[in-house]
Amino acid sequence: MKLLMTASQIRGLPVVTIRGGEDVAEVRDVIYSPEAGRLVGLTLNQRGFLSGRRREVLPADMIHAIGQHALMVTDETQLVTPEAAPDDIAHPARERNVLGDDVLTEGGTSLGQVVDLVLLVGGNGEVVGYQIERAGGGHGYIPLPAQLAVSGDALVVPEITAEFVQDDLVGLGAAVDEFRDRLGLT
Amino acid sequence: MSESFRNSIGRKIVSRTSARELGAVSHLLVDDQQRQVASIVIGRGKKAQFIDWAQVTGFGPDAVMVTDESSLRSPADDRERAASEGKLELVGKRTLSELGNELGQVDDVTFDADSGALEHLVIGDRRLPAGSLLGSGSYAAVLERDQEP
Repeated sequence: MKLLMTASQIRGLPVVTIRGGEDVAEVRDVIYSPEAGRLVGLTLNQRGFLSGRRREVLPADMIHAIGQHALMVTDETQLVTPEAAPDDIAHPARERNVLGDDVLTEGGTSLGQVVDLVLLVGGNGEVVGYQIERAGGGHGYIPLPAQLAVSGDALVVPEITAEFVQDDLVGLGAAVDEFRDRLGLT
Repeated sequence: MSESFRNSIGRKIVSRTSARELGAVSHLLVDDQQRQVASIVIGRGKKAQFIDWAQVTGFGPDAVMVTDESSLRSPADDRERAASEGKLELVGKRTLSELGNELGQVDDVTFDADSGALEHLVIGDRRLPAGSLLGSGSYAAVLERDQEP
Protein backbone atom coordinates (compact mmCIF):
# COMPACT_ATOMS: atom_id res chain seq x y z
CA MET A 1 0.00 0.00 0.00
CA LYS A 2 1.23 3.45 -0.87
CA LEU A 3 1.39 5.62 2.22
CA LEU A 4 1.95 9.35 2.17
CA MET A 5 3.07 11.19 5.28
CA THR A 6 4.01 14.77 5.92
CA ALA A 7 7.34 15.60 7.55
CA SER A 8 5.47 16.86 10.61
CA GLN A 9 3.79 13.46 10.97
CA ILE A 10 7.22 11.82 10.86
CA ARG A 11 8.69 14.17 13.48
CA GLY A 12 8.22 12.64 16.92
CA LEU A 13 7.86 9.06 15.67
CA PRO A 14 9.73 6.57 17.87
CA VAL A 15 12.76 4.93 16.25
CA VAL A 16 12.36 1.23 17.05
CA THR A 17 14.87 -1.60 16.55
CA ILE A 18 13.49 -4.64 14.73
CA ARG A 19 15.79 -7.12 16.45
CA GLY A 20 15.51 -5.56 19.89
CA GLY A 21 12.00 -4.13 20.07
CA GLU A 22 13.43 -1.08 21.83
CA ASP A 23 12.61 2.57 21.19
CA VAL A 24 16.14 3.94 20.92
CA ALA A 25 15.34 7.49 19.78
CA GLU A 26 12.68 9.63 18.22
CA VAL A 27 12.65 11.69 15.06
CA ARG A 28 13.65 15.29 15.63
CA ASP A 29 13.68 16.52 12.07
CA VAL A 30 13.64 15.44 8.46
CA ILE A 31 16.60 16.34 6.25
CA TYR A 32 15.97 16.16 2.57
CA SER A 33 17.39 17.21 -0.76
CA PRO A 34 14.99 19.43 -2.73
CA GLU A 35 16.97 18.89 -5.94
CA ALA A 36 16.90 15.12 -5.74
CA GLY A 37 13.45 15.15 -4.22
CA ARG A 38 14.33 12.58 -1.62
CA LEU A 39 14.92 12.10 2.06
CA VAL A 40 18.59 12.32 3.04
CA GLY A 41 18.32 11.41 6.70
CA LEU A 42 16.95 12.30 10.08
CA THR A 43 18.15 14.08 13.16
CA LEU A 44 17.13 12.50 16.45
CA ASN A 45 16.00 13.21 19.96
CA GLN A 46 16.36 10.96 22.94
CA ARG A 47 13.24 9.14 24.02
CA GLY A 48 11.23 10.02 27.02
CA PHE A 49 10.11 12.90 29.12
CA LEU A 50 12.52 15.87 29.32
CA SER A 51 14.66 14.26 26.67
CA GLY A 52 17.26 16.20 24.77
CA ARG A 53 18.82 15.94 21.40
CA ARG A 54 20.66 12.79 20.40
CA ARG A 55 23.98 13.43 18.80
CA GLU A 56 23.70 10.60 16.29
CA VAL A 57 21.85 10.94 13.00
CA LEU A 58 20.12 8.37 10.87
CA PRO A 59 21.07 8.33 7.17
CA ALA A 60 18.12 7.51 4.88
CA ASP A 61 19.87 4.35 3.62
CA MET A 62 19.79 2.97 7.17
CA ILE A 63 16.02 3.28 7.54
CA HIS A 64 14.27 -0.06 7.25
CA ALA A 65 10.80 1.48 7.02
CA ILE A 66 8.75 4.49 8.03
CA GLY A 67 5.27 3.56 9.19
CA GLN A 68 2.31 5.29 10.72
CA HIS A 69 3.40 4.50 14.28
CA ALA A 70 7.16 4.00 14.20
CA LEU A 71 10.32 4.36 12.19
CA MET A 72 12.05 1.00 12.01
CA VAL A 73 15.79 0.29 12.00
CA THR A 74 17.49 -3.10 12.15
CA ASP A 75 19.44 -2.24 15.29
CA GLU A 76 21.01 0.69 17.09
CA THR A 77 24.23 0.53 15.06
CA GLN A 78 22.30 2.16 12.21
CA LEU A 79 22.47 5.42 14.16
CA VAL A 80 25.77 7.07 13.28
CA THR A 81 27.76 10.00 14.61
CA PRO A 82 27.69 13.15 12.46
CA GLU A 83 31.38 12.56 11.65
CA ALA A 84 30.55 9.20 10.13
CA ALA A 85 27.50 10.47 8.25
CA PRO A 86 27.42 11.84 4.71
CA ASP A 87 28.12 15.57 4.66
CA ASP A 88 24.62 16.62 3.59
CA ILE A 89 23.20 15.09 6.79
CA ALA A 90 25.88 16.31 9.17
CA HIS A 91 25.72 19.85 7.79
CA PRO A 92 22.38 20.41 6.06
CA ALA A 93 22.60 23.57 4.01
CA ARG A 94 20.31 26.30 5.25
CA GLU A 95 19.39 27.45 1.74
CA ARG A 96 18.05 23.96 1.09
CA ASN A 97 15.18 24.60 3.43
CA VAL A 98 12.13 25.08 1.24
CA LEU A 99 9.66 25.79 4.01
CA GLY A 100 8.20 29.23 3.41
CA ASP A 101 9.28 29.21 -0.24
CA ASP A 102 6.91 30.62 -2.82
CA VAL A 103 5.66 27.97 -5.26
CA LEU A 104 5.73 29.54 -8.72
CA THR A 105 4.56 27.96 -11.94
CA GLU A 106 6.69 28.31 -15.06
CA GLY A 107 4.14 30.87 -16.23
CA GLY A 108 4.73 32.98 -13.11
CA THR A 109 1.60 32.20 -11.07
CA SER A 110 2.05 31.72 -7.33
CA LEU A 111 0.24 28.66 -5.99
CA GLY A 112 1.10 29.45 -2.38
CA GLN A 113 3.87 28.89 0.13
CA VAL A 114 5.43 25.62 1.20
CA VAL A 115 4.43 24.64 4.75
CA ASP A 116 5.38 20.95 4.78
CA LEU A 117 6.86 18.10 2.76
CA VAL A 118 4.92 15.03 1.71
CA LEU A 119 6.93 11.80 1.60
CA LEU A 120 6.12 8.47 0.08
CA VAL A 121 7.10 6.14 2.89
CA GLY A 122 7.91 2.46 2.68
CA GLY A 123 10.41 3.00 -0.10
CA ASN A 124 13.49 5.20 -0.12
CA GLY A 125 11.65 8.19 1.30
CA GLU A 126 10.87 9.96 -1.94
CA VAL A 127 9.41 13.44 -1.51
CA VAL A 128 6.39 13.43 -3.82
CA GLY A 129 4.68 16.66 -2.90
CA TYR A 130 4.39 19.72 -0.74
CA GLN A 131 1.71 20.93 1.55
CA ILE A 132 1.12 24.58 0.73
CA GLU A 133 -0.63 27.51 2.29
CA ARG A 134 -2.68 28.63 -0.67
CA ALA A 135 -2.45 32.17 -1.94
CA GLY A 136 -6.19 32.51 -1.35
CA GLY A 137 -5.97 31.00 2.15
CA GLY A 138 -6.35 27.41 3.33
CA HIS A 139 -4.07 24.43 2.88
CA GLY A 140 -3.57 22.33 -0.20
CA TYR A 141 -1.23 19.66 -1.51
CA ILE A 142 0.70 19.74 -4.78
CA PRO A 143 2.47 16.84 -6.48
CA LEU A 144 6.07 17.27 -7.54
CA PRO A 145 7.91 16.10 -10.61
CA ALA A 146 10.98 13.98 -9.89
CA GLN A 147 13.20 17.06 -10.01
CA LEU A 148 12.73 20.79 -10.03
CA ALA A 149 14.47 24.14 -9.75
CA VAL A 150 14.68 25.37 -6.20
CA SER A 151 16.37 28.14 -4.25
CA GLY A 152 15.93 29.56 -0.78
CA ASP A 153 13.30 31.93 -2.15
CA ALA A 154 11.11 29.98 -4.49
CA LEU A 155 10.62 26.77 -6.33
CA VAL A 156 9.45 26.55 -9.89
CA VAL A 157 6.92 23.90 -10.87
CA PRO A 158 5.40 22.95 -14.23
CA GLU A 159 2.37 24.95 -15.35
CA ILE A 160 -0.02 21.98 -15.08
CA THR A 161 0.67 21.72 -11.32
CA ALA A 162 -2.12 24.28 -10.83
CA GLU A 163 -4.62 21.67 -12.07
CA PHE A 164 -3.42 19.13 -9.53
CA VAL A 165 -3.74 21.05 -6.27
CA GLN A 166 -5.44 18.65 -3.83
CA ASP A 167 -7.35 19.23 -0.62
CA ASP A 168 -5.96 16.23 1.26
CA LEU A 169 -3.23 13.57 1.31
CA VAL A 170 -5.56 10.89 -0.08
CA GLY A 171 -6.22 13.04 -3.11
CA LEU A 172 -2.54 13.69 -3.52
CA GLY A 173 -1.77 9.96 -3.50
CA ALA A 174 -3.99 9.51 -6.53
CA ALA A 175 -2.78 12.69 -8.21
CA VAL A 176 0.97 12.00 -8.11
CA ASP A 177 0.96 9.22 -10.72
CA GLU A 178 -1.42 11.01 -13.05
CA PHE A 179 0.58 14.21 -12.72
CA ARG A 180 3.81 12.45 -13.63
CA ASP A 181 2.10 10.66 -16.51
CA ARG A 182 0.93 13.97 -17.88
CA LEU A 183 4.40 15.46 -17.57
CA GLY A 184 5.79 12.49 -19.48
CA LEU A 185 3.34 13.14 -22.29
CA THR A 186 3.79 16.86 -22.58
CA MET B 1 0.57 -30.17 24.19
CA SER B 2 -0.14 -26.53 23.66
CA GLU B 3 0.02 -24.16 26.61
CA SER B 4 -0.73 -20.48 27.01
CA PHE B 5 1.22 -17.69 28.71
CA ARG B 6 -1.94 -16.30 30.22
CA ASN B 7 -3.07 -19.63 31.65
CA SER B 8 0.39 -20.30 33.10
CA ILE B 9 0.36 -17.25 35.34
CA GLY B 10 0.13 -18.25 39.01
CA ARG B 11 0.86 -21.93 38.36
CA LYS B 12 2.85 -23.45 41.21
CA ILE B 13 6.43 -24.54 40.68
CA VAL B 14 7.48 -27.73 42.44
CA SER B 15 10.89 -29.36 42.92
CA ARG B 16 10.83 -32.89 41.54
CA THR B 17 13.55 -33.93 43.98
CA SER B 18 12.11 -32.59 47.25
CA ALA B 19 8.44 -32.18 46.25
CA ARG B 20 8.62 -28.72 47.81
CA GLU B 21 6.79 -25.78 46.29
CA LEU B 22 9.30 -23.15 45.15
CA GLY B 23 6.94 -20.40 44.07
CA ALA B 24 4.50 -19.52 41.32
CA VAL B 25 4.87 -18.39 37.71
CA SER B 26 4.82 -14.57 37.41
CA HIS B 27 5.43 -14.62 33.69
CA LEU B 28 7.53 -16.29 31.02
CA LEU B 29 10.57 -14.66 29.45
CA VAL B 30 11.12 -15.43 25.77
CA ASP B 31 14.23 -15.77 23.65
CA ASP B 32 12.97 -13.62 20.78
CA GLN B 33 15.58 -14.84 18.29
CA GLN B 34 15.00 -18.56 18.99
CA ARG B 35 11.24 -17.94 19.44
CA GLN B 36 11.33 -20.07 22.54
CA VAL B 37 10.51 -19.78 26.25
CA ALA B 38 13.88 -18.87 27.80
CA SER B 39 12.96 -18.93 31.47
CA ILE B 40 10.23 -18.71 34.06
CA VAL B 41 10.15 -15.50 36.08
CA ILE B 42 9.06 -15.87 39.72
CA GLY B 43 8.21 -12.76 41.71
CA ARG B 44 8.85 -9.21 40.67
CA GLY B 45 11.35 -6.42 41.21
CA LYS B 46 14.37 -7.04 43.45
CA LYS B 47 13.05 -10.37 44.68
CA ALA B 48 12.53 -11.78 41.18
CA GLN B 49 14.10 -15.17 40.47
CA PHE B 50 14.54 -17.15 37.29
CA ILE B 51 14.35 -20.80 36.30
CA ASP B 52 15.88 -21.71 32.93
CA TRP B 53 13.63 -23.66 30.61
CA ALA B 54 16.28 -26.44 30.59
CA GLN B 55 15.53 -27.02 34.30
CA VAL B 56 11.84 -27.64 33.63
CA THR B 57 11.18 -31.37 33.70
CA GLY B 58 7.44 -31.12 33.16
CA PHE B 59 5.21 -28.14 32.34
CA GLY B 60 1.95 -29.69 33.50
CA PRO B 61 -1.62 -28.39 33.75
CA ASP B 62 -1.48 -28.17 37.56
CA ALA B 63 2.20 -27.62 38.33
CA VAL B 64 5.51 -26.86 36.72
CA MET B 65 8.01 -29.51 37.78
CA VAL B 66 11.65 -28.46 37.97
CA THR B 67 14.87 -30.34 38.78
CA ASP B 68 15.46 -29.06 42.32
CA GLU B 69 15.88 -25.96 44.54
CA SER B 70 19.16 -25.06 42.83
CA SER B 71 17.18 -24.38 39.65
CA LEU B 72 16.26 -21.00 41.15
CA ARG B 73 18.70 -18.23 40.34
CA SER B 74 18.99 -14.42 40.33
CA PRO B 75 18.84 -12.33 37.15
CA ALA B 76 22.11 -12.75 35.23
CA ASP B 77 22.16 -9.85 32.76
CA ASP B 78 20.48 -6.57 31.74
CA ARG B 79 17.79 -8.35 29.81
CA GLU B 80 16.84 -10.43 32.84
CA ARG B 81 16.97 -7.39 35.12
CA ALA B 82 14.54 -5.66 32.73
CA ALA B 83 12.41 -8.81 32.82
CA SER B 84 12.39 -8.63 36.65
CA GLU B 85 10.64 -5.26 36.32
CA GLY B 86 8.09 -6.81 33.98
CA LYS B 87 9.35 -4.69 31.05
CA LEU B 88 9.77 -7.60 28.67
CA GLU B 89 6.50 -9.36 29.37
CA LEU B 90 5.10 -10.34 25.99
CA VAL B 91 1.45 -10.48 27.09
CA GLY B 92 0.12 -6.92 26.97
CA LYS B 93 2.93 -5.76 24.68
CA ARG B 94 2.37 -3.45 21.73
CA THR B 95 3.17 -5.07 18.37
CA LEU B 96 4.60 -3.37 15.30
CA SER B 97 5.13 -4.73 11.83
CA GLU B 98 8.65 -4.26 10.50
CA LEU B 99 7.07 -1.53 8.35
CA GLY B 100 6.31 0.54 11.43
CA ASN B 101 2.55 0.03 11.68
CA GLU B 102 0.87 -1.09 14.88
CA LEU B 103 -0.86 -4.49 14.77
CA GLY B 104 -2.48 -4.44 18.21
CA GLN B 105 -1.63 -5.64 21.68
CA VAL B 106 -0.52 -9.20 22.48
CA ASP B 107 -3.41 -10.82 24.38
CA ASP B 108 -1.76 -14.21 24.77
CA VAL B 109 1.06 -16.41 23.51
CA THR B 110 0.79 -20.15 22.96
CA PHE B 111 3.74 -22.52 23.18
CA ASP B 112 4.57 -26.21 23.12
CA ALA B 113 4.68 -27.42 26.73
CA ASP B 114 7.33 -30.06 25.89
CA SER B 115 9.82 -28.02 23.90
CA GLY B 116 9.00 -24.47 25.00
CA ALA B 117 8.80 -23.44 21.34
CA LEU B 118 6.47 -20.48 20.79
CA GLU B 119 3.51 -21.29 18.56
CA HIS B 120 1.25 -18.28 18.13
CA LEU B 121 0.83 -14.70 19.23
CA VAL B 122 -2.84 -14.00 19.90
CA ILE B 123 -3.75 -10.43 18.96
CA GLY B 124 -7.49 -9.76 19.20
CA ASP B 125 -9.18 -12.42 17.09
CA ARG B 126 -6.01 -13.10 15.08
CA ARG B 127 -3.46 -15.83 15.76
CA LEU B 128 -0.14 -14.90 14.21
CA PRO B 129 2.57 -17.55 13.78
CA ALA B 130 5.42 -17.09 16.27
CA GLY B 131 7.82 -17.68 13.36
CA SER B 132 7.02 -14.15 12.21
CA LEU B 133 8.46 -12.64 15.42
CA LEU B 134 11.60 -10.66 14.55
CA GLY B 135 12.38 -9.18 17.94
CA SER B 136 10.84 -8.23 21.24
CA GLY B 137 11.86 -5.65 23.81
CA SER B 138 10.51 -3.17 26.30
CA TYR B 139 8.79 -1.03 23.66
CA ALA B 140 7.29 -3.53 21.24
CA ALA B 141 7.29 -6.96 19.69
CA VAL B 142 8.18 -6.63 16.00
CA LEU B 143 6.62 -8.95 13.42
CA GLU B 144 7.27 -9.62 9.76
CA ARG B 145 5.59 -7.36 7.23
CA ASP B 146 3.24 -10.03 5.86
CA GLN B 147 1.42 -10.10 9.21
CA GLU B 148 -0.18 -6.74 8.42
CA PRO B 149 -3.91 -7.31 7.91
